[in-house]
Amino acid sequence: MFKAFQKIGRELFLQGLNNSHSGNLSIRQGDRIFITRRGSMLANLAEEDIIETGIEKNDSNITLASTEIIVHRAIYQSTSALAIVHCHPPYAIALSLIENDIIPIDSEGCYLFRKVPVLKSEYTIGSREVAKGASKLLKKYRLIMIKGHGCIAIGQLLEEAYQWASSLEHSSKIIYITRTMKPDFVHEKIKDYHKW
Amino acid sequence: MKGWMGKIAVVDLSSGNITENEIDSEIREKYLGGRGLGVHMMFNKVGPEVAPLSAKNLLIFATGPLTGTKAPTSSRISLSTKSPLTGTIFDSNAGGEWGIQLKQAGYDALIIKGKASSPVFIDINEKEIQIKDAKRLWGGETFESIKLLKKLKRNKVSIACIGPAGENLVKFASIMVDEHGTFGRGGVGAVMGSKNLKAICVSGKKKVEIADSEQLDFVIYETKKWIKANPLTFVGLPEFGTPVLVNLVNRMGIFPVKNYQTSYIKEVGNISGEKIKEKIFVRRAACPTCPIGCRRITQTKNEKGKGPEFETVYSLGAMCCIFDLEVVAEANYLCNRLGLDTISTGVTIACTMELKERGIVDAGISFGEKDKIKEIIKNIAYRQGIGDDLAEGSRLFALKYKAEDYAMQVKGLEFPAYDPRGMKGMGLAYATSNRGACHLRAYMVGPEILGIPKLINRFTALGKAGLLIYIQNLNAALDTLIFCRFGGFAISDDYYARLVSAVTGWQIEPYNLQIIGERIWNLERLYNLREGFSRKDDLLPSRMLKEPLTQGPSKGETVSLNKMLDEYYLCRGWNKEGIPGGRKLKSLGLNSGKEEKDV
Repeated sequence: MFKAFQKIGRELFLQGLNNSHSGNLSIRQGDRIFITRRGSMLANLAEEDIIETGIEKNDSNITLASTEIIVHRAIYQSTSALAIVHCHPPYAIALSLIENDIIPIDSEGCYLFRKVPVLKSEYTIGSREVAKGASKLLKKYRLIMIKGHGCIAIGQLLEEAYQWASSLEHSSKIIYITRTMKPDFVHEKIKDYHKW
Repeated sequence: MKGWMGKIAVVDLSSGNITENEIDSEIREKYLGGRGLGVHMMFNKVGPEVAPLSAKNLLIFATGPLTGTKAPTSSRISLSTKSPLTGTIFDSNAGGEWGIQLKQAGYDALIIKGKASSPVFIDINEKEIQIKDAKRLWGGETFESIKLLKKLKRNKVSIACIGPAGENLVKFASIMVDEHGTFGRGGVGAVMGSKNLKAICVSGKKKVEIADSEQLDFVIYETKKWIKANPLTFVGLPEFGTPVLVNLVNRMGIFPVKNYQTSYIKEVGNISGEKIKEKIFVRRAACPTCPIGCRRITQTKNEKGKGPEFETVYSLGAMCCIFDLEVVAEANYLCNRLGLDTISTGVTIACTMELKERGIVDAGISFGEKDKIKEIIKNIAYRQGIGDDLAEGSRLFALKYKAEDYAMQVKGLEFPAYDPRGMKGMGLAYATSNRGACHLRAYMVGPEILGIPKLINRFTALGKAGLLIYIQNLNAALDTLIFCRFGGFAISDDYYARLVSAVTGWQIEPYNLQIIGERIWNLERLYNLREGFSRKDDLLPSRMLKEPLTQGPSKGETVSLNKMLDEYYLCRGWNKEGIPGGRKLKSLGLNSGKEEKDV
């Protein structure tokens, strides 16, 4: 389990999806959650950076857990996710500031997502509002963006959730590049995908 | 009530009464259809006092909300009963036209109870249900009987039929459906035979109403894109059928040979999917609405038939050390004609071969004696000679000779074709399956071998319980809709949820499917606990625990089951004995296991 945290944490940093201390990861085992330590460097995780606590119940370890544990818990309580990746992909964050939904225009992004909803919230870090909104949206979607903050991706395994986050950033770069070349470009399936 | 027809037919073979009921809307929301509806009814109606082969046992054929729609790979029907092989709750499902026709005749489910005084068949169409004399059919093989019945009928009809094995109450008798489908496992054919019921014919033309056809078409379009993009679902399975896995699984050192004495052998190439394509393949076939088309029509020098499937290549081939493809194919054809589950047949024969090798009992056949395989299959189906003992299944057969360790089974159900010593998650899946050693309750081959959704370390024991439970719950939910497992190689749970939503108009999300699946899994557990099963039955044969594999890429491996079970029960929210607690049951709406509401 620890190796998966280490691998995905490092990949997120190397891909530019996180800065030195941003983002957090967790997995679920029954009614327990294993989440990265508050303020940990995801690219250099040590075993003591993985904090175990309850999904429903608090214990003393809550003091060490990531600030976003409130969001992770809410997601586990209301979706079938077994793993969560939260990171700060820059192109996707930029898009989230100007779009209501991110609709990929590249083939892979269309296949994987069709639509990535953007959640708006006054308080975006460790926020009850985000916990409520994200857990609701993630019942239907495998990843979402929090406006101006970052993405939350879910999966059965950390690697799966990481793939969604990585693919979203790739799709966001393609949208950015295409718009610099042709600002009025519209994907042919955009109406269908908005309904997804 | 989009997606459902709104009626259940109840046929009492003892009295000849035929009635129609409605399904309570609350029950439909909690269990959807198929396996869910089946376990709910079984829990309420068939208690521990009912013997599996007695008139009081039920046969519950149940469709799902997507049956009869265009949703890809949705043309399956579920059959629930108490198994004569395992004594557990049991559901088996078959692909093909039968479920679609039942629904188009106007029924979501068909319940059969009682026992006819002489052989009968049931004839169902949109206007009426009749119980008809089947004395002329009794004793006939499956396909021969299906052919005769089809001649009698004018319109398009689909037929589920047992063969001599079902009539003779062989505990692993199957039910054949038309030319291709099979309710294979658990002895459901024997339950049908115990009721003097030879066949059920169904035909209908009613349409299933769809809540949002436009959305359904769009989700189907997106679903098919994935199925067509995946090399497994659009190249491997269509080109080689399910035996596409033979060489792959053997290369991993987990394709069981010689009653699980080894799981890696080079001769396996002779009975692989590639060899089937080269030597005996005639054409492909597919279930309605299936874009994959994994079925094979094959021909040997002497015969033409369907299959063999991956599991049959293992059970009648490698397990018995028979690597002659024509012999395996013809043994498979014979099992289908006689109405025998090929997995249990092959594994039971392999057990008797090992008992002979060890000097415990001589059933007249040794490993590799390919010329004798057809004879022993016939002896089982007709319960002749030692075939009468073998017809009880490997566990009871081996127990008779105090050699249970050599029966490769869990809860009486014979093992499928993946050696759990080389993929520990599958070991836990076999041990905890509510119907015995089954690979389809949680197909851990996905994450442990095929990398679906992602590849995990197959040799690691701990840390897999959460994923296993997720897959068990999801598959239980898919068995209510009812989907073929193969679609799941390409698409994820959110597609299934969107398909159900479009058909029913309900807002179904992946999480709802998990909860429905978890509810079913826990109710099945309660059923088995009530029958006397407990942690002691969540077991693997001692060979898996104590005898390391001796060759191949999984050499040296065994299964450490106890630790895995502890983790599994914890993640399930059960106590250390594997009993669901009141809080867990309440959260699933199970009223502490006392189901209060009838259909």
